[in-house]
Amino acid sequence: MRTVRLTVYRFDPTSDERPRYASYEVPYRSGMTVLDSLLYVKEKLDHTLAIRYSCRMGICGSCGMTVNGLPRLACYTQVKEVGWRIKVEPLKNHPLVRDLVTDFTDFFRKYKSMRPWLIRTDAEEQENPTKQYTQSDAELERYIQFSYCISCGLCYAACPVVTALPEFPGPQALASLYRFLADTRDHGRRERLRIVDEAVGLWRCHFAGSCSQVCPKGVDPALAIQLLRREAMRG
Amino acid sequence: MRTVRSQARSYPLVLKTMLVPVGYTVERWSYTLQRVTGVVVTLYFVLHVVETGNFIGGPNVWYVPPKDFAAAYYQHVKELLHNPVFDAGLVVIGWMVAFHTINGIRLTLAHFGITLGKPARVDPESPPRSFSNLQRAIFWASIALATFAAVYSVDALFGVLSG
Amino acid sequence: MRERNVMLVHYVSGIGILVFGAVHLFTVFFTKPLGETIWETTMLFEGHQFAVLEVYRNALLATSLWFLLLFTTIHALNGLRVIITELFPVPVVRTASKYVLFALGVFLMVYGTRTIIIAHMIG
Repeated sequence: MRTVRLTVYRFDPTSDERPRYASYEVPYRSGMTVLDSLLYVKEKLDHTLAIRYSCRMGICGSCGMTVNGLPRLACYTQVKEVGWRIKVEPLKNHPLVRDLVTDFTDFFRKYKSMRPWLIRTDAEEQENPTKQYTQSDAELERYIQFSYCISCGLCYAACPVVTALPEFPGPQALASLYRFLADTRDHGRRERLRIVDEAVGLWRCHFAGSCSQVCPKGVDPALAIQLLRREAMRG
Repeated sequence: MRTVRSQARSYPLVLKTMLVPVGYTVERWSYTLQRVTGVVVTLYFVLHVVETGNFIGGPNVWYVPPKDFAAAYYQHVKELLHNPVFDAGLVVIGWMVAFHTINGIRLTLAHFGITLGKPARVDPESPPRSFSNLQRAIFWASIALATFAAVYSVDALFGVLSG
Repeated sequence: MRERNVMLVHYVSGIGILVFGAVHLFTVFFTKPLGETIWETTMLFEGHQFAVLEVYRNALLATSLWFLLLFTTIHALNGLRVIITELFPVPVVRTASKYVLFALGVFLMVYGTRTIIIAHMIG
C-alpha cells in the first residue's frame, strides 16, 4: 500500500523549549485530503497532535495551515495534488497556539474594524423595513465575488506586507470593506474610506497578489483592494 | 490561552518573505523586484547627484572656475569610475531603471483597477481576475524592455555594437 | 498630509520621472553613435568641453533636468519612507526617518540644482 510521509510542525509553548518536526507514515487511500491524513495521525499514531477543523468541506475555514510552503485549507487539498512527502506547518502571520493551531484574535479584530455590515443612514427603515432593497444583476456582481469569503485567514498568512507590518489590516479585512463599499445598499462610503486612508492602511498593499493565489474560494482580495484604492483616490 | 507572538514577526522572516518569492506568482516577483530595484536605483541616484556635483566644482566651486576644475578633475573621475566592475554595475542599473519604470506603469494602472478584470460571479475554473493577461503581459514587457536597456547599456559602456 | 494625497504625489512624480527621464536619456545617451562608449563621446573631454555639458546650455533642457531631479527626489524618498514604515514598525524610527529623509531631500535638491545651474552656465 502506498504511504504518505507527513512532516508536521510540533510545538507546545506550555512545555516545549523549541519547535520540532515529527514524521509520520500514513497509508494512502483514494481521495485522501491533507486533513484526512492528519486525522489519521491523530486517531492512530499520535493523539497529542493539535489541529483545528470542523466542516471538512471547505466551508467553515477552520483548517488553514501551511502545506508544502503555501497556505491552504487542509480539507480542500488532495494529497495527490501536493505529493507523497508533505510538510505541514501552522499558518504564518498568525500567532501560534499549539502545533498547527493559530490564534485568529488579531485577524478578527481587524475584520471587525472594517465594520463588515451594511451602514444605513435610515436606521428606522432598516429596523422596520417598509419595502425590499432591490438590486440589479449588475449591482450584485460588483460585490458578490467578495462576499464568498469564509475568513479562513489564508490570504492573511500569504501577504508579505502583514509579515513585515503586523498592524496592516490584511487582504481579508480590506476586501471585506470593499465588499460593503461596492454594495448599493450601503451608506457608509465616507466612514469606510476614512478607516483605511492611513499610513498603515490601504496604501501599503503593493499588489503582490499572493492573497488571490491562495484564496480557496476565488474571492480575489487583490482585485478588491485595487478597486478600493481607486475609490479612495476618488475620495 | 498562551500564544507565541514571536512566530508572527522576526527580521530573518520579514526579509525572506520580502526577498524570496519562490512558490508564488509573477505578481509577487514583481513586488520583490520593484522594491529591490527601487532601493538600488535610489542609491545610484544619490551617488549620481553627488558625483555630478563634485565634477563641476564640488565644494571648491566658490574659488575655482568650474570649467577649469572639471578639466582637472576629469582624469581623476575617469580613473575612479571607468573600470569593468563599475561599468558592469551601471549595466545592472540600466536594467533596473527600465524595469522599475515599465513595471511602475503597470502597478500604477493596476492600483487604479485598470488592466484588471471586472468583479463577477466566481468561476472555479478561471484564475483570479486580478491575474489578467494584460497586466501580466506588461510585467513580461518590463522584463523584455529592461533586458533591451541592459544590452544598450553594455554598448554604452563597453562599445560592443557596430554603428 | 493624508496618505491618499502622499500616494497621489507618488504616482504623479513617477509619471514626471517617465517624461523628464526620457528627455534626459535621449539628450545624454542617444547623442552617441552605436559602438562608441559614453567615455568616448558623451563624457568626451576635448578643449575643456564635455558633450554632456553642452546639452545643458539649452535652458529648456536644463529646466527639464531640474524637474527630473525634483520628481526623482520626491519619488525615491517617499519610496524609502514606505519601506521604512514596513520594515520598522516602531513610531520613533518612523518619525526619525522622516526627518533624515527630509534632510536628504533638501541636500539632493540644493546640490543638484547647483550642478544644473553651473552646467547651464559653463556648457
